Amino acid sequence: MRREDKIVAEIRERLKEKIITVEVPRERRIFAYIKLEALKESIKFLKDMGFKHLSTITGVDMEDGIELIYHLALDGSIELSLRLKVQKDDPRVPTITDIIPGAVLYEREVHDMFGVNFEGHPDLSPLILPEKWPRNIYPLRKKYALERLRNLIFKEEDIE
Amino acid sequence: MAIIVEAIKHLFKRPATLRYPFEKEAPPKGFRGRPIWDMHRCVGCGLCSRMCPSGAIEMIGRGHEARIKHYVDRCLFCGQCSESCPRNAIRLMNDFEHASYSRDSMIYEYKRES
Amino acid sequence: MSYGSTIKVPFGPQHPALKEPEHFLFKIDGDIIVNVKPRIGYNHRGIEKAFERRTYIQNIYLAERICGICSDAHTTCYVQAIEDLLGVEAPPRARYIRVIVAELERIHSHSLWLGIAAHEIGFDTLFMHLWRDREAVMDILELISGNRVHYAMNTIGGVRRDIVSETIPKVIGSLDFLEKRTKYYMKVLRSEPTVLKRTVDIGVLKPEDAVELCAVGPTLRASGVKNDVRRDDPYAAYDEIPFNIVTDDGCDVFSRILVRCGEILESINMIRYALDHMPSGMLRVRVPMVVKPGEAVSRVEAPRGELIHYVKSNGSTRPERYKVRSPTLANIPALCKMLIGQHVADIPIILAGIDPCFACMDRLVFVDVKTNKKKALDFESFRKIVRKRHELL
Repeated sequence: MRREDKIVAEIRERLKEKIITVEVPRERRIFAYIKLEALKESIKFLKDMGFKHLSTITGVDMEDGIELIYHLALDGSIELSLRLKVQKDDPRVPTITDIIPGAVLYEREVHDMFGVNFEGHPDLSPLILPEKWPRNIYPLRKKYALERLRNLIFKEEDIE
Repeated sequence: MAIIVEAIKHLFKRPATLRYPFEKEAPPKGFRGRPIWDMHRCVGCGLCSRMCPSGAIEMIGRGHEARIKHYVDRCLFCGQCSESCPRNAIRLMNDFEHASYSRDSMIYEYKRES
Repeated sequence: MSYGSTIKVPFGPQHPALKEPEHFLFKIDGDIIVNVKPRIGYNHRGIEKAFERRTYIQNIYLAERICGICSDAHTTCYVQAIEDLLGVEAPPRARYIRVIVAELERIHSHSLWLGIAAHEIGFDTLFMHLWRDREAVMDILELISGNRVHYAMNTIGGVRRDIVSETIPKVIGSLDFLEKRTKYYMKVLRSEPTVLKRTVDIGVLKPEDAVELCAVGPTLRASGVKNDVRRDDPYAAYDEIPFNIVTDDGCDVFSRILVRCGEILESINMIRYALDHMPSGMLRVRVPMVVKPGEAVSRVEAPRGELIHYVKSNGSTRPERYKVRSPTLANIPALCKMLIGQHVADIPIILAGIDPCFACMDRLVFVDVKTNKKKALDFESFRKIVRKRHELL
């Protein structure tokens, strides 16, 4: 039995119905799709399993919500992508900075770019976008095409 | 302390740098410089202009009447155009000094001469 | 010793010599840093959004321009992600060439960093000598790829250029020279009192903190954690080339110097092995322009640490979403941890320690919280303060 399959079996056993799909597309890669409420629980037990390193958090704008992908690494080798979906208007997710302190900047980045609120995060002030950036405009959402963002920036300068 | 001996030795050596505008080093063989078009080979398919990652190549017209405008100020010198060309009509030159005071002087035009 | 009141010191963000302008707000008590708040994004160019508008071929060159120093690491990571989606694999010779270019890039990046670190601690002689010798590796890269900085060697399905047999003796000759010089510099770095005084026990990052804060690359390895994507998640031909992971238990800036020196020597040996054992054969496989729907995660050990790219495709000629996480971002929480409890005078070398290349700061503003008075300091007067402190030691 491969290491990946063992991990998949363990995840299935722990999360049971909270898990939607798990797949192993190739060696050392696992993609797991879980329900939103299982996030903290799964991060906690994955950390105990050895997934101590959080590589990054990716946000993806889907038609029916925003997907968050937590890329976790086991001893630097097996990369598990833990995926969950949040609704598009007023997206809220509990923070994982209390479990993995290294997530602090990644959560801020996703907050800037997709407007996801990480509840309990110590400081969600802008990290990448300028202070004067208008509220409720999240550049990596599909709705904001490049032309629209460009107009926005020019408008800001016109005001000044 | 070891570095002092080294530093003193270098007082009596030639400088490591070239006095650039007066002395130049030729780029090695295979250097990726400015692309030039051989319009006798070009069939005007437009592949170079579509492949260009920075939109530095403009193709006006199609076929043998096609004209090519190359904007050096936008060029990345990646050489993707010469790689994509089905007729090997694009060659990369050896020159690297493209700086100029006006952007208009950085446009090169190619046309088939009959 | 405490002065009872804290002062806020903003650091950055802009300086033409900085590769990555960043801003740090330091809270200091006397001369000791009590808190750090990073603020990044001054160099945000919207590359992730730009990826969604370009074709897969055009994106190779966009990925290359994410960073000038690790241009090859970014393209390797990009093409691997796309190859993963397409289900193709680069031919063996291409995989060896990728390793050779990646390791040459590591040598060039580490010697650049060593020069900057030397400059940062006021040891400019070493900086000049290091950068002169770094030209040797830049010349080899130019000879192999046709450009000093943006090599454009990788393409989806292989590499674009071969390493021809005429260039190999030149490469070997330069490697011998670099090995001799690196060994000499290691001797200098180990014996020079300037280096030891300014780096030993400065910017300590304990191994457990490094793991907890998700540090990567030489920063993590200098804290004694044996972690390297090249060994743990092998890509290109790294599973066929023997190498050691260089670690050091010092956890301070000095061990970061030693780790990077060790990695240069290790890279030289890896290139020699790869040149000897390079299989013959084709350089690239043909790939379609359209990528079927799917997603992939690709990881590469860039000179500064683990680099991760994520791609999602939708069946067209352009990606649906592209995500890049560069190693510097991963090291910033760890950097903040290292800075706490250190002296203001050591900020430059600790910042440089993770290799974001904060080469020189040009202006700081000291704000007294109580009176709200601002006092600007230029680089020279800041340097004077730094020197004074070290004369006292």
